[in-house]
Amino acid sequence: MIGKVISPAAAIGRKGKKVVRRVASVRRWADLILRLAIYILLFDLAFVFLYPFILMVVNSLKSPKDLLDITVKIIPTSFYWKNYKIAFSSLNYAGAAKNSLVITALTTLGHILACSMIAYGFARFRFPGREFFFLIVLFSVIVPIQVLIFPYYMQFSKWGWLNTYLPLIVPTFFGFGLRGGLYIFIFRQFFMGLPNELEEAATIDGCGAFRTYWSIVLPISRASTLVVGVLSMVWHWNDCFEPGIYLTKQKLWPVPINIPNMYATLKALSSGQTDEFLMEGEVLFNEGIVFAGTFMVILPILVIYLILQRQFMEGIEHTGIVG
Amino acid sequence: MKKLTITQRKKVKGYLFISPWLVGLVLFFLLPFIQSLRLSFSKITKYAGFHMKWIGLDNYAKAFLWDVTFLPMFGTVVKDTFVNTIMIVVFSLLIAILVNKKIRFRGFFRGAFFLPVLLGTGYVMEQLLGINAEGPAMEMARGIAIPEEFMRYLDPVVVSVLSGFLNRITYVLWKSGVQIILFLAGLQGISSSLYEAARVDSATEWEMFWKITLPMISPVILLNVIYTIIDSFTDTSNPIVDYVLDIGFTKSQFEYSAAISWLYFIFVLFVCGIVYFMMRNKVYDTSKK
Repeated sequence: MIGKVISPAAAIGRKGKKVVRRVASVRRWADLILRLAIYILLFDLAFVFLYPFILMVVNSLKSPKDLLDITVKIIPTSFYWKNYKIAFSSLNYAGAAKNSLVITALTTLGHILACSMIAYGFARFRFPGREFFFLIVLFSVIVPIQVLIFPYYMQFSKWGWLNTYLPLIVPTFFGFGLRGGLYIFIFRQFFMGLPNELEEAATIDGCGAFRTYWSIVLPISRASTLVVGVLSMVWHWNDCFEPGIYLTKQKLWPVPINIPNMYATLKALSSGQTDEFLMEGEVLFNEGIVFAGTFMVILPILVIYLILQRQFMEGIEHTGIVG
Repeated sequence: MKKLTITQRKKVKGYLFISPWLVGLVLFFLLPFIQSLRLSFSKITKYAGFHMKWIGLDNYAKAFLWDVTFLPMFGTVVKDTFVNTIMIVVFSLLIAILVNKKIRFRGFFRGAFFLPVLLGTGYVMEQLLGINAEGPAMEMARGIAIPEEFMRYLDPVVVSVLSGFLNRITYVLWKSGVQIILFLAGLQGISSSLYEAARVDSATEWEMFWKITLPMISPVILLNVIYTIIDSFTDTSNPIVDYVLDIGFTKSQFEYSAAISWLYFIFVLFVCGIVYFMMRNKVYDTSKK
């Protein structure tokens, strides 16, 4: 704001309405310019954020000729869907997507069920060691996965869990797994923010603790459940670290792991003799295919996010992690 | 069986509720944790059953004395993290403040800024950010701040610093999605009556920022700093992470890899501890229950 705030009342006293109008109009201009500057800045920033993404989408639709053509930047000459077809098969999308779906669904389910129950215990009951154990929960989020990954590998191979989805899914039902501690934290903050009256009423009506949790508190917790669900889905879908370590059989692979594999497949195809492709050079340097593949990897998440976006944001504000 | 008092019953129920976690704690946390520690102090003798032999601090000594690549890499990572964290927190705070003002399309901006979080793990991000040649930051700089021609006339050192800065911007901005959202949520928790009272007392925007906004979100600032540090340390584009994996799985030296990851971990803990204790006194806690 330019200068001090002059309340209109004060100005009137001095020189009447003229001063008020002039002050008001100067302020309006200043406000307008400020808002314009903010808009420009935000759009620029949003552009920087979205640019790689836009580039990816656009490049995935370009034909090889377009990719080499420097004058073609944002608008391809035609929509070249073939990249998607090739990417689809070299990613083994159908099979991998099914795997990803299974993994993501089960892990998210595990997280939501287990972490909310555990958080309820931390939020509503007093028992010795409560603070101490919760510190350990937070601690489990801080520990980098690399510290634990080798013992995990050794342990799971001893149990025979390698090359199954068990190492990914089972820990989530115990509150661990990918960022499990974080979800416990989110749920606990939320539960602590709920008024006690509802649960007290339930107790008076004869609900046991678990029934209170299951039938009363959980249904109210849509906000935090949504936040945890979205985060868990996104992170599990995109996770290539743990699956990459535990799963060696290719047909078990979830979608993101297949991306570096694409290069191998493409190289094999380009030096191979399939006449599925028009020109040999077409497959070799075609970033378009890689971009198409990457886009397909994130597509399901994108869709879910766009649908749930507003509720997700509001959910974060209501869970009380902040303030 | 003697009937328990209400308080005692509550205790039991509390334990019951967190019992899955307690089981998981032992199975999936404590056991691997201790194993990892043991591993870093030993050498694997037989791969079939993973038998180990205790060799004391040898692996750690190896990291410092024998391994040529470890220490410099470590130094680079630490420096990068330091710079990146500051930039991320500052930028995300600014962006959050801007988005929080009364503008239209707020939903669009929130969505746009959070997008990289969705996309940004592992290979996907590598793909997207590997386009550094015509990086978006350069485009923006070209358009607004520093025309390319101008840069030719600058001292090469200045140019390298500047372009290093600009190259970082994309990476920094992309990593700040979660922080922006957290700051936004924090900002919206500040009651507007504070600002109104300040306006009545004729405070300027600048004063209001320093005296109201900053103190009120200081807990969120702390949260974000710690989260950013942890996030960047467990990021897969982090060379140390790559190195650990490389040694462990490609070269099959589990024990050495464990030692390195432990060094790394202790360091992360140390940094977080320092940050926490430094900022603890400056954080204005409004919600002491």
